[in-house]
Parts: sequence; structure tokens; C-alpha cells
Amino acid sequence: MKNKTLLVLNILATVCCIGLGYKFLLKPLMAETIYATEYKQLMFQCDNVMRDHMIAKNRVKHEKTAEAIHDLKASELGLVSCHEYDKLRKVMLAWGLTAEELSYIGLEAIEENANDLIQYVETHEFKY
Amino acid sequence: MNLNIRYYFIFIIFFSSFVYAEKGLGKILRSVIIENGFKSPEYMYINEHENLAPEGEIFFKSNHLSLNGSISCATCHIPSKGSSDGIPNAAGVRGLGEGRERLLSGAKIVPRNTLALWGVGSKDFNTFFWDGRVDFGSIKIISQFGSQIPSHDPLITAVHLPVVEIRETLEEDDFVLAHKQESLSGAKSVYKAIVKNLITHEQEAIKNLASKMGVEIKDIKFLDIATSIAAFIRAEFKIKNTRLNNFVKRKEELTKKELRGGLIFYGKGNCISCHSGPNFTNQKFYTVAFPQLGFGKNGFGIDYGRYNATFNPKDLYKFRTPSLYNLSKTSPYSHSGSVSKIEDAVRAHYDPLSLIKISDYSDLQRHQFYKYLARNDAVNKVNFLTQDEVDLVVEFLGTLDFD
Repeated sequence: MKNKTLLVLNILATVCCIGLGYKFLLKPLMAETIYATEYKQLMFQCDNVMRDHMIAKNRVKHEKTAEAIHDLKASELGLVSCHEYDKLRKVMLAWGLTAEELSYIGLEAIEENANDLIQYVETHEFKY
Repeated sequence: MNLNIRYYFIFIIFFSSFVYAEKGLGKILRSVIIENGFKSPEYMYINEHENLAPEGEIFFKSNHLSLNGSISCATCHIPSKGSSDGIPNAAGVRGLGEGRERLLSGAKIVPRNTLALWGVGSKDFNTFFWDGRVDFGSIKIISQFGSQIPSHDPLITAVHLPVVEIRETLEEDDFVLAHKQESLSGAKSVYKAIVKNLITHEQEAIKNLASKMGVEIKDIKFLDIATSIAAFIRAEFKIKNTRLNNFVKRKEELTKKELRGGLIFYGKGNCISCHSGPNFTNQKFYTVAFPQLGFGKNGFGIDYGRYNATFNPKDLYKFRTPSLYNLSKTSPYSHSGSVSKIEDAVRAHYDPLSLIKISDYSDLQRHQFYKYLARNDAVNKVNFLTQDEVDLVVEFLGTLDFD
């Protein structure tokens, strides 16, 4: 009887460990592996429409023409493209990635071209 | 007349007409150079606070000017690298050493090419940084300080900025985060902390500065430190005598290649439409579709340039025309340091696509590049030049070098 209880407890503990490991380690890792590239692309696209919107807004401040106002309205509608980015962000959060981890992936996306810079410096000799 | 003597005379006449023509071209070039604002180094040098330069030199080279980042002005403005740092984008805090070594050691990247300091303290030099975030040349003074500019001397105001730039000289610690504001009043606490840092670590220089300024050490302000640094920059990085100055003012000759290069620079190339005035910059802002290297000030490989300072869409992708003094010593070139040869920098003005491998770009990157290209000012100003003509312009630019 005692052995049976211990066995059940062991199984329960193992299941719990596997469950916790899956939830806090494996699932976030899987989310990062599966979605990180797509997340970076969507972030770039969202950033792009947000920048366009800001530029259109600033343009209206400098020239209140019908064309500038029309472009601003179009760029406001364009922000809808960020919905895909928002959706994926929520999916990744649901898979257990923290907001800080998502920010880090975002930072990697923003500074992705820094690798080009390092490569460039490593392969070029500059003449002074 | 003997046939040989006749040939001899023809040769003499031909040769003299050639020499005369060269001299004539020299005369033309000389007058065009003067017409376009050339001034001698003596005329350009001003330094009201020259007596503070020795202390300024100590602060310029002191890592304690950085509140928490172990970096000084001299880390990126290195004399052996033409007062720049020799790398495409500046290497800020968290790095070791200088230049290439610093960048590869994991320093935080400041996504712009370090501008050389030659002549930045000259008379009438009033627009600083690639995006002109200190601009005393416009009708309305532009600076991050709004109406509370720390000094009416643009160089002294410019010295105030790098020391409060996160990544450049500041680590984003709790103190910095608490005082992160883009205004002079917001930055005051950081300036006070920097002065305190210097009072602790550069005691001798602070003591001398206080005595020269006739104030108590406790009354030293960052403005005094910045004034001394500006005095050092003016003295150390002043424009010195060049071969071009000797040509214009002392009537010395240029080589044939330099002379022809000069005629292209002021003529067919129309380089002078932007590189004019005593510093070979009109200090205005233009789009030259240089390749972008690094992640750019706006991230994702984008740098909106002047727009980041004015928020006026007309300023998108525009950068301040750089000076051309000592150009051969300040490689790499452009706002992101993406070209390493002067020849390529010249070519970027009239044939930017020749420097870009468009197949390496993603769809969206390509789209961004078209936007950049569509705003290009340079191709409308600079004419097509052959490779030989580019080489001649480079020869001419060499006459602006000095030790």
C-alpha cells in the first residue's frame, strides 16, 4: 500500500515537473523558435506604418493642404497592419514568453543591421 | 630659315602656349575659389577663451566626463585617425580601447559616423552634428535645449550634448533613467553630477579652471567645463595651412591633376553647390543616397537624418554637408560610414546605385530605399563624372590636407 502511494506520488511529481518544464521552459522556447522571425518581420512592418503615420501627422503640422490631410487619414487606416503584430505578440505571451523577452527580441530586430556593421568592420581596412 | 630651326620655333610656341594656358586655368581656378568663399586659416581661427584650452584638453581626454560610462571625447576623436575614430558607426559605452578594437569588444553602437573636428570652432561654423541638432545658422536657433540654450556660442552648446547622450557616453542606470528628459532643466542634474565627478577626479584642472575664471571651485558649472573644452577643440583642431591656401594666397602652383580636379570640383561636378564657404560646407542639409550601414538612428537600418531634429517631413533623409578638410585622414565617409574610399564617396553623389547590392535587401528594406532615393538631392546637383574625373577631384581634395 505504502509502495503504491509512493509510486502514485512519484508519478504525480514527475507529471508536475514535466508540466512545469513544458509551461515555463519548453513552451516559451518553442514559441521563440517558431515565431521570433515572423515577429521581427511584423514588428518592422508595424514600425514602418507607425513611422509613416507620424510623418504624415508632422506634415499636416507644416502644410495643412487637402493632400496632406488625405495622406494622414490613409496612414491612420494603415495602422490596422499593426493588428497582426499585436496578435502574434499576444500569442507569444500566451505561450509563456515574458514582456521583457519580447522586448529583447524586438531590440534584436531594430538593431539587426548592427551585425552588418561588425562584419563590415571585420572585413575592411580603413585608410587614415 | 633652316627647317630644324623652324621646327624648334614651332615647338617653343606650342610649348609656351600650353604653359600659358595652364597658368590661365590656374588664374581662373584661383578667382573661382575666392568667389566661393575661400578664407585663409588665419582668418578662420577665433578663440575667445584660448587661455582655458589646457584645462579643456584634460577634460576632453578624461573618462570622468562620462558620468558612468568610462569614455571620453578623445575615445572617438582620435588625432591619429583624423580627429574621427576610423570606424563606420561610433563605439560608445561598454567598450574597450578605441576605434575598431572598441567596436569589436562589444561597445554599444552609436548609429552615426563620428564627424571629424577640423575647423568646427572656426568663424561662422554654426551647425553641428549630422542632423544639425545644434543649428545657430537658421533664422530660428535649433537645439535640444529649446529656448534655454546654454550658450550663444554654438560650439559650447554642442559640447553639452554628447555627455548626456545615452549609449554615447552615458549608461542607462537608475540615476540617468530618473533624469531622462530632453531639456536643459531636465539635464541639469546630470550636468551637476558630471561636474561633481570632475571635481573629485580632475582636481588640478578644476582648480586651475576656477582660478582662471575667478570663481570658487564649488561654483564651477558645466558651462565652464564646456567653455574650456570648446577652447581646446578650437586650438587643437584649427584649420592649418594647406597647399590650396598656398595656391590661392601665395600664388604657388598646383600639379596639373590637382588643377584639373579643381576645375571639375568648381565646374562640371558642381561640388561647390554644397561644399562652399570657408569650411567647404554650406552647413545646409541634403539627401545623398549613400548606402546605410548599421541599424540607423531610427532602427531597422533607417536613418531619417535631419527630420529627427525638426520633425519636418521635408527634412527626411537629409544630413549636414560635411567639411572637406583633411578628408584623406577621416575614412570612412557618409553619415553611417558606409563607404571607405573618397572615390566612392564622390560617386555616391551621382551614381548611388553603383555602391549598393540591392539583392541583399528584403522587400521592405528595398521599399525604404526607394523612398530614400526619391528624395535624393545630389543627383540633381552633381553631373556625371568619368572615373578619370573622379580621380582628378580626389587629387584636388588632397590639397585641403594638412598635418
